[in-house]
Amino acid sequence: MTHVEVDPDRCVGHGRCYTLAPKVFDADDVGHAIVIAEEVSGELETEGRDAERNCPEGAITLS
Amino acid sequence: MTEAQDYVDQAMAGVAQPQPMYKALRESNPVFRSPQAVVLSRLADIEMALKHTELFSSNMDAVDLGNIRPLIPLQIDPPDHAKYRRILDPLFTPREMARREPRVTELVNEMIDRFAGRGECDFHEEFAVPLPCTVFLQLLGLPLEDLDQFLHWKDAVIRPEGATGYESRHETAAPAALQIYDYFERAIDDHIANPRDDVMSSLIAARIEGAPLTREEILDICFLFLIAGLDTVTDSLDCFFVYLARHPEHRHQLVEQPDVLPSAIEELLRWETPVPGVVRVAMEDVEVGGCPISKGERVSPLLGAANTDPAEFLDPDLVDFRRNPNRHRAFGGGPHRCLGSHLARMELRVALREFHRRIPDYDIKPGTELVYTAALRSVESLPLTFPTVTP
Repeated sequence: MTHVEVDPDRCVGHGRCYTLAPKVFDADDVGHAIVIAEEVSGELETEGRDAERNCPEGAITLS
Repeated sequence: MTEAQDYVDQAMAGVAQPQPMYKALRESNPVFRSPQAVVLSRLADIEMALKHTELFSSNMDAVDLGNIRPLIPLQIDPPDHAKYRRILDPLFTPREMARREPRVTELVNEMIDRFAGRGECDFHEEFAVPLPCTVFLQLLGLPLEDLDQFLHWKDAVIRPEGATGYESRHETAAPAALQIYDYFERAIDDHIANPRDDVMSSLIAARIEGAPLTREEILDICFLFLIAGLDTVTDSLDCFFVYLARHPEHRHQLVEQPDVLPSAIEELLRWETPVPGVVRVAMEDVEVGGCPISKGERVSPLLGAANTDPAEFLDPDLVDFRRNPNRHRAFGGGPHRCLGSHLARMELRVALREFHRRIPDYDIKPGTELVYTAALRSVESLPLTFPTVTP
């Protein structure tokens, strides 16, 4: 399993992750990202990686 | 150096295709001191400047729009900035925008109804300008008959007549700015007396650590909305439809593969970068890419150049509606990331979806010479012709 993390100090609410990977990320009430699937594999991992690569702030890590 | 200055002058004056100029500037003078500002054209430097607001402030000295106090939240830096974003961001989340989408869809269709049977339109005048302005009035809960007044004000502060460069902006923009404050004063009174489901009422009801916003704070937020929310979406629509009119294969892709729309919008935002640059002020003596910058100097991160930097984008000159990844900076980045980015995305998505559903084929009227406006990339007029559609 791969672990998903969002760095709240870097996230400024571009919203790319929960748009591209809605099964892995969601938005809090200000539109910043929260992780809803912390451990992922398979299709969710692919989605999560997509979000990681598209975050303009480099706030997402899959490890 | 004169060549580099040429590139900057062109960018300021407005050009149809700024991308080759971004490339030339980035390759010859990635940190370039022009009379207007120190222009940054490498993504790494731009990202750094946007992130480090303690070094590169977005305060009132950056751009003068005739305003008498800092616009909120743009001209307030962290840490105070965060308390305003905490109450403003929830009003502009993708979810909140989705709630408003049906009404915008109706509006877009009403606009198309007015010209669909005619076989031609001035897309700028009849669509790109009135759409974001009407959405803005609806969002704030203001009378739709104030549309023309608003259009006049936003042009008067964004493109003050006779103002060249940054220096003479205040005097030329100030009279309109005073009228804007006065208008919003009255609108706030009306909303206090008659609260409703709109952004203005939410601002009046908002609390920061238990305390309501002052009247001045509400005015400074409304002023910011006016300058940030109207022109930028007009610019985006103009840029996108010029591109799509000239690239039928891309337009056909939108029509034949509707699922590509969200990523097509991201790619058009990257390629066109309708807001080509932002402005900051150096807060101390710093050095960027070997170039010393003095405290108080204006610095302009060129977002359009960041968006075509090969250090980030594979084949940056290729417009690929399925580009992935696409970490474009069309909405800036760091703490001042465009507050209205999700509103803009929703308006653009609805506009492109509905327009192409009803008018899939169009051309720019033969003989048209497109004139791009300075600083923000709209065109003065965009005549389109298309097969007539019965409504």
